Amino acid sequence: MALSVGFGLAFLIVPLAIVMPLAFNGGSYLSYPLEGLSLRWFGAVLHNPPWLAAIANSFRVALGATALALVVGGLAAIGTMASRRLTAIVLWALFVSPLAVPSIVMAVALYFAFARLGLNGTYLSLVIAHALLGAPLVFVSVLNSLRGLPPELEQAAASLGASRWMRFRTVILPLTLPGFLTGAIFAFVMSFDEVVIALFLVSPETQTLPIALFAALRDRLEPTLVVVALSLTLLSGLLIFALARLRRSAAPLGKDQ
Amino acid sequence: MIRSKGGALATLLLLLPPLALYVGVYLLPMLAFGGASVDNGVLGQRFPRLAAWAASAAPVDDAAAVALLADLGVLRPEERAEAARMLNQDQPGFRSLIMTTGNAAGTIGPGLAALRSFDARWAEDRFWFSLRQNLEPVTWRHFRKALGLGLSPDGGITRVEGGDIYLRIMLRTLVIGFEVAALTVLIGYPLAYAVVNAGPRLRGLVLGAVLLGFWTSILVRTTAWVVLLQTNGLINGLLLRLGLVDAPLPLIFNRFGTVVAITHVLLPFAILPIVNVMRQIPAAQRDASRSLGAGPIETFLRVYLPQTLRGVAVGGGTVFILALGFYVTPALVGGPGDQMLAYYIADFMQKQLNWGMASALGIMLLAAVAAVLALWFVPRLFAAPSARRP
Repeated sequence: MALSVGFGLAFLIVPLAIVMPLAFNGGSYLSYPLEGLSLRWFGAVLHNPPWLAAIANSFRVALGATALALVVGGLAAIGTMASRRLTAIVLWALFVSPLAVPSIVMAVALYFAFARLGLNGTYLSLVIAHALLGAPLVFVSVLNSLRGLPPELEQAAASLGASRWMRFRTVILPLTLPGFLTGAIFAFVMSFDEVVIALFLVSPETQTLPIALFAALRDRLEPTLVVVALSLTLLSGLLIFALARLRRSAAPLGKDQ
Repeated sequence: MIRSKGGALATLLLLLPPLALYVGVYLLPMLAFGGASVDNGVLGQRFPRLAAWAASAAPVDDAAAVALLADLGVLRPEERAEAARMLNQDQPGFRSLIMTTGNAAGTIGPGLAALRSFDARWAEDRFWFSLRQNLEPVTWRHFRKALGLGLSPDGGITRVEGGDIYLRIMLRTLVIGFEVAALTVLIGYPLAYAVVNAGPRLRGLVLGAVLLGFWTSILVRTTAWVVLLQTNGLINGLLLRLGLVDAPLPLIFNRFGTVVAITHVLLPFAILPIVNVMRQIPAAQRDASRSLGAGPIETFLRVYLPQTLRGVAVGGGTVFILALGFYVTPALVGGPGDQMLAYYIADFMQKQLNWGMASALGIMLLAAVAAVLALWFVPRLFAAPSARRP
């Protein structure tokens, strides 16, 4: 038992733990022993316009996709919550279904569609495509928050004469904010890490960080790749931390944690 | 949320923007994508005279030659090129035949003999047969090709010798998916057990490792495996230095590397559902079983394990579904013989510009995913009401 836990743990951690320090290698090979510690490859990334452009593109696309996913997923969750049981089941299936479609199929379908609209290679096409993958994540997260909300709260507000919009703005939205934020983090990471769909939709000007990394991996292996990989991992770590904080702050509200 | 009288309209208004996005950039594109697998495009629309001949079941005669030249003569050059490309997918050599014949359509005399003296290939039955089969608005040739089937001259469906390449790729995809699902469950089960039952320090360590894996980009983890497994990579370097091997082992660009890397990427998806199920098992059950005289192994096998199988099924099934669509990892760590269905879809789309085949293979992939989902959901639909989720 202990042996298999040890093996599994090593399998999970060791590949990343061995490779990441190579970002600080003074030499130009991805091998041990390190030829002295150095930040030169970090400098190489920061002084390389294509990498910088890819980083900027990734943030631009991920922020846009997250904003759109929040609106779409949030509205979908509120609308589903307010629907009759049978309608709600159908809506639920529809709104989460993009998660079950293999991304290669989604990529090809969107490539067709955007080609017809002349949108391929634009930021807008990437934002819309990634929002479509982020919306189900926001939807599920907000729906969970809404389900955890005691109905008496809204009834009380209604009995005090609050209109629908007023009840949403002053009661429901503040109480489900952690759900929106959790969904936003998921949607952001989804877009920031997405490869397959972007592979079909990017142009050289709009290429995102994963696409630049993918191209570089097929080209030749350099410590700059590990620098980029390490930075992406640190960003993930940061977001897990944010999510954990969010869970804790939401804990008193949620019924079953 | 309160359902009020005027609420239905308000709800509809709320749902309008998300529904618009889903219909516009999800449902319609998916339908168009599916349609491309049977759409005959220019072939189904631009050969009216030849299509009339094909429908009449007449033999290859002067009328057929006249109809062909008349149809080719009015096509614009890019339409002719598209038709030539599509027919070439059916019969190799058709592209040049259509292009040269089309370019000279006005100069060839009427009748079959003139056509055959212009290009002797028009004496070959296979080209006429292909034309006869491929002028309908709807075509099944992409699915036939994907399934290794062809048409016999009498109109029946036959097996094509050596044509089962896409079936073998489908099988390869399913096998890799199954291997990865089995490995993730085998490696993940003890880890899930540790997350639920170990002391706080080990529990935190395992959960942290699983979550970090869950949140780290697929590409980053694939990068790590590329660096590790390379011929001059870290694992081979270590083995050589320890004197365990004399020459570098082939670890990358083969099935081993592919399965290991995908397993690593998908491991968290197997662990988390198992953890969820294990958390619901009260510790008192184990104590009860032990106090009734069962040993630890018997308790695990007869009390604990059966209750966790639902989590194993959900975790393994999720991994299987996700693995079926893998593209990036096999492309980077697999060899030519390890590429999965997704690779060929991308290849048809980007390199061969054969959208019909890309779509037909995509539908095969979707069908496999839908079959697994059905295995989950259909039993639930027919389960006793008390067993349903609230």
